[in-house]
Amino acid sequence: MHTVYYIILIPMVYVAFTVFGAGIVLRLVKIFREPKNPTTLQIYPEKKHPWLLALYDTFLLPTVRKHNPVFWVFLMLFHICFLFLIIGHLELIGDFTVFQVIPHEVFLGRGFVGLILTVCVLFFLLRRFAYPIRELSIPEDYYLLILLFLTILFGSQMDWARRWYEYGNLSVEDYRTYLSNLVFLRPALPSEITESGHSFMLVLHVFFANLFLMFFPFSQLIHSFLSLPMNKLRRG
Amino acid sequence: MDTDTRDTLITLFKDKLNEAMRFYLETCTRCGLCVEACHVYASMGNVKYIAAYRHEIVRRIYTKYFKGRGKLWPSVGEAKELTDMALEELYEAAYSCTGCRRCMLYCPFGIDTQMLMSIAKLLLIGAGVEPEILTMLADTSVEKGKSIKLFKKGFLAGVSNLEADVVKKWKIKAGKTAIPVDVKGADLLYVALAGAHSIVPAAAIFNAADENWTLSFFEAVNFGAFVGDPTKTKLILDRIINEAKRLKVKEVCICECGTAYRVMKQIAGGYPFKVSSITEVHARYIREGRITLNKSTFKHGVTYHDPCQIARNGGIFDEPRFILANLTDDFREMSPDPRYNWCCGGGGGLVALGEDTLDFRMKSSKVKVDQVKETGATILATACENCHTQLSNLNDHYKIGMEVKFLSSMVADALVH
Repeated sequence: MHTVYYIILIPMVYVAFTVFGAGIVLRLVKIFREPKNPTTLQIYPEKKHPWLLALYDTFLLPTVRKHNPVFWVFLMLFHICFLFLIIGHLELIGDFTVFQVIPHEVFLGRGFVGLILTVCVLFFLLRRFAYPIRELSIPEDYYLLILLFLTILFGSQMDWARRWYEYGNLSVEDYRTYLSNLVFLRPALPSEITESGHSFMLVLHVFFANLFLMFFPFSQLIHSFLSLPMNKLRRG
Repeated sequence: MDTDTRDTLITLFKDKLNEAMRFYLETCTRCGLCVEACHVYASMGNVKYIAAYRHEIVRRIYTKYFKGRGKLWPSVGEAKELTDMALEELYEAAYSCTGCRRCMLYCPFGIDTQMLMSIAKLLLIGAGVEPEILTMLADTSVEKGKSIKLFKKGFLAGVSNLEADVVKKWKIKAGKTAIPVDVKGADLLYVALAGAHSIVPAAAIFNAADENWTLSFFEAVNFGAFVGDPTKTKLILDRIINEAKRLKVKEVCICECGTAYRVMKQIAGGYPFKVSSITEVHARYIREGRITLNKSTFKHGVTYHDPCQIARNGGIFDEPRFILANLTDDFREMSPDPRYNWCCGGGGGLVALGEDTLDFRMKSSKVKVDQVKETGATILATACENCHTQLSNLNDHYKIGMEVKFLSSMVADALVH
C-alpha cells in the first residue's frame, strides 16, 4: 500500500503538473498561431473600451446573470471559491504576505470554501440530467464534473475534519512539509502524511486532482484561458 | 463516402481553422444558456435546433480528425466519423440556422454559431450536396461579373423602362437622367437588387437629395455567402469593388439587403471608398436637410423589424429609428432591446430556397409572429429583402393583417416636394 501511496503522492503529481503545464502551453501556442479571422466577429452596437467590456463579460458573466440568474449565482460562487482554493493551496506551500492582507488561518475559508464548491459542482452535475441540457451534454462534461466533485469532496473532508471535528493528526505543518518538498524537488513522504487515519483521504484527493489536471488542457476547461480573447472578439 | 472524398472534406475543414474557429470549437461547456436564444427552438421545441446542439455536430467531426483525443479516447468527446449520415446532420444544422447570431448574446464566451455553420456549409459544397439552387444563383452572379457586355444591353433597357416610375415619385431637373448608370466620378454608387422595388424608390430619393449618383450594373445580393462558398463570395463582391474603383466613386451604398451590406462592409475593408447602407444614407439626407418627409403619410402605428445582418451584426440601430421618427408619431418598438430582436426566420439562404423551405420557415418563426402581433401596429417596416419576403410570407400564412413595407419605399412615398 505504501508503494501505491508513494506513486500517487509523488511521481504522479509531477507527471500531472508536467502534462498540465506542457498541455496548456502547447494548446495555446497552437491556437494563437492560427491566422486571425479576416473580418470582425463583433456584435453591435459598438461601445467604447472593448477590452474593459471583455473583462467585464469574462469575470462577471453578465449574459448568464441576465438569462439565468440562479445559474449565475452558482457560477460566481464556484469561480470565486475556486480562486480561494488556489490561494489556500499556495498557502499550504509557504507563507505569502500578500494573501494575508486580511489575516486568516490556513487553509482559508473555515471549511466553507470547500463546502460551497461541493454544492456548486453538485448543482452543475445535477442540472446536466435535466432536459434539455442532458441532450446537449457529452461524456466529457460528466467525467470532468465527477472528477472535480471527488477531488473537492476528499480535499474538503480533510479541512472539515481539522476545522469542525478537531481532528489533529494531520496538521497544516504536515501538509506544508509534504508540498514544499514536492515544490523544491526534494520529494519525501513524512510518516504523518501516509500513516494517519485520514491519509487515504489525502491520497484520494491527490489522485483525483492529478487526473483532473491531466485532463484539463485537453478539455473544454481551456475556456479558463480563452474566455477573455473570445469575449474581446464579441466586443470588437 | 469514399476515402478520397473524406480526405478532401477534411482538408476543407482544416482550411477553415483559424484562431477564432479554434476558440469556438474548443470552449463550449454545453451549459445550455443558448437554449432560449434560437427562434427555431423557441418556436418548434426540438433540441436539434439549440445552438449548442448545432455546434456539437461540427465539433464531433473536429474532435475526430483534429484532436488527439479523437483517436485515443473518442467516446469522451463523442468524436464522429465523417460519413454520409454525418453530412445529412450537417445539412440539417446548417440550413435550419439563419445565421442571425442571437445566440452570441446568450453564450458566456460569445461562440459564433454562424461561423461554425460555415464549416458545415463548406463541407456540403465539398461533397456536392449543398442546395443546388444557391450554387446556381452564385454561379450566375459570378458569370455576370466575367461577361458584363452580354448583360449590359438588356440591363440598360430594363433600367430605361423604370425611369418613368421614378419621375412619377420625384420630378427631375431638365437634362438630368432619372436613373444614371456608369457615371465616372459619381459621388455614390448604388448597388440594388434585381427588381423595380429596389431601384425606383431609391432613385427617387437620390434625385430628391440632388445626389451625384450612379446605379451599379450588378445586384447586391451575394449568393456565395448564402451557400457558404468563400471563393464565390469574394468573386461576387469583387465585381462591385472593381466597378466602384473604375468609376472612382467616393461611396458605395448597398440597398436593403442584410447579407450584401454585411459582406460588403466587413469584407471589403481598405478600399478607397466608404461603404454605407441605404438606411444610413437616407438618415444622413434627413439630418442634412436634403430631403424632408411628410409625417402624415402613414396614419397608423408603425413597427420596425431590425434585420439581423444590418442591426445586431452590422451596427445600424439608430438610423432606421431616426427615419421613422421623421415618418410617424406612432412608432412602436418591437423589442425592448433591439439587439435581442427575434430573427424573421428567412436568413442564411432559407428565403432564397423558396418553396422548399416555406413550411419550415413558417413553423420556425412562430415567436416572430407573436412578437410582431404584440406591437399592435398596422405597418411592419424593414430594411432587408430577405426579411421583407419572409415577413410577407408570415403575414399571409398567419393572417396577421399587417402591411409589410420597405423602409426606403416609405421614405420615397413621404417625400415632400
